[in-house]
Amino acid sequence: MDGVKQKIGMSVFRETYYIYRRNLRVWFVPATFLPPLFMSGLLYVLFASTFTEVTNLGGFSTEDYSAFLVSWIIVQAVVFSGGDAGFALLTDMMSGYFDKLLLAPINRFSILFGSLLVAATRGMLQAVVIIAIALALGVSFQGGILGILTLILFAAVFGLAWSCLSIIIALKTKSVQATQSSFLLFFPFIFITTAFVPEELLSGWFKVAVKVNPVTYVTEAMRAIVIEGWEWSTIITGLWVTVVMVGFLMIVTTWLFRRATA
Amino acid sequence: MNNNAIIQVENLVKVYPGGTKAVDNITFSVAEGEFFGFLGPNGAGKSTTMKILGTLLRQTSGRAIVDGYDVIREPQKIRRIIGFAMQEVGLDDLATGRNFLVMQGLLYGMSRKEADRRATELLDLVSLSDVSHRKVGAYSGGMRRRIDLAGALVHNPRVLFLDEPTTGLDPQSRLAIWDHLRNLNKQGITMFLTTQMMDEADQLCQRIAIIDRGQIVAEGTPGSLKAEVGGDMVVISVAGENDEERRRQEEKAQALVDERSYVDGAHIIDRGLCVNVKNGGGTVPDLLKLLSDNDIVVTDLSLSSPTLDDVFLKYTGRTIRDDEASGDEYGQAMRQWMGLSRR
Repeated sequence: MDGVKQKIGMSVFRETYYIYRRNLRVWFVPATFLPPLFMSGLLYVLFASTFTEVTNLGGFSTEDYSAFLVSWIIVQAVVFSGGDAGFALLTDMMSGYFDKLLLAPINRFSILFGSLLVAATRGMLQAVVIIAIALALGVSFQGGILGILTLILFAAVFGLAWSCLSIIIALKTKSVQATQSSFLLFFPFIFITTAFVPEELLSGWFKVAVKVNPVTYVTEAMRAIVIEGWEWSTIITGLWVTVVMVGFLMIVTTWLFRRATA
Repeated sequence: MNNNAIIQVENLVKVYPGGTKAVDNITFSVAEGEFFGFLGPNGAGKSTTMKILGTLLRQTSGRAIVDGYDVIREPQKIRRIIGFAMQEVGLDDLATGRNFLVMQGLLYGMSRKEADRRATELLDLVSLSDVSHRKVGAYSGGMRRRIDLAGALVHNPRVLFLDEPTTGLDPQSRLAIWDHLRNLNKQGITMFLTTQMMDEADQLCQRIAIIDRGQIVAEGTPGSLKAEVGGDMVVISVAGENDEERRRQEEKAQALVDERSYVDGAHIIDRGLCVNVKNGGGTVPDLLKLLSDNDIVVTDLSLSSPTLDDVFLKYTGRTIRDDEASGDEYGQAMRQWMGLSRR
């Protein structure tokens, strides 16, 4: 045993950090994060240029459609990338590397948290890039620097929620294809929101659906930070929805993960 | 129960959710420092047993103890002293060889510096230092097994589990892996290997258990198992004008050789007379003399010794690959003898 110190109870933080670093190196490569970022940037610039005049309809609380759009662009980027966490987990399971991790004398949950942290990191990166594009388009962020940081944090936590969802699907289906294609089912969550116009301009079933969609509240909270500044009631509602979503999905994910690795 | 046993398994049963009974009440133990092997065909329960011992899978019932720790109650303690090289090599294709080993070291609680040093040592040990900066995904089959083996050694395990370590490798790579395994065993590491390959079990293991359909059907040293099958086998073809004449000569020869004290029995098979003898080589001259003295013309004679293939055949009535054509000469003769072969 020369030189090999066997530290009993190596902290879960240390293990999580190593697995996070490894996942980052393996799963967080330009080829996986650049295309979705490109897509989000393209969507943003295209929509912002196409609908410049739409704010004349009223109810937008800003005349800058680019400012109105930015929060939704971040949200859709984060939601669409959620599937990656489940994909990465399944790939490791199939390659057998997951078993290698299980064989190591580490806490089981550091494997899960190491994956989820990558999702949070990606959410942050996406938010940073999209905010940079927004700044380039001349959007002024009413929340200031602190507001921008809050948006980045929102993206990280919201990204965590969707990654939990993909891990749940991955653990349930054990299929990469199913995990990837089932994410199409979440299209409605992204589009049945106040994505393009404020609630006042909506009507009928669509308005009802928008109201029950949790993504709406997160989008609205982030939007408030951009175009109104610290408009607390909207922000706190969005915060609540995010916390409840993440909390619930984390509990389910942890429970399923525990069952899968027992 | 064996006092110096590092692995103890008692009445182990594993039933998979679908109802498949992969392991059906097996009991065995492995002594510290021993090179022990599980020999059996695909689906015999080898990997399942190994995964239970490696804490990757929970048994349905029975007990499994590694170094005094129960696999269910104290898996973390077991994980610190075992290494596991897998059948479906559990590698990180996108990491470099060095990265993979350093990560293994970190997971086993080493500092960054220790892990780095250990990775260098291990890369040298498995002769992969030259390609340590290349991604594991680009490694050849033999290199993958070697880096996987190195990864399993990172924490100086006392027991090494090897699940079919050379399946699918070319003969040269296989020999290289065998050398590594022998050396590791010499250093005192207890080895537990599963294999479908007779020669692998024969070459490496001090003791083997033959496992089939979830049960251990035979256990012992390769030598003792082969001895149980019987001694050497001499197959003698004799001359004759026609089939009938030849058959008569064979029967005559059979009666003659049966008298000899070193003969354990003689049977007529397709190719001629099959004689079971205690010491093949030494008896051939006497057999030939006996037959020629009695005017029996020997046209062909072959001598073969039992292999583990034949041991498997004896205990299961099947060859390990369930393929009649693949057997050796001894096995073919034995199958005919046992009436297993189609004529």
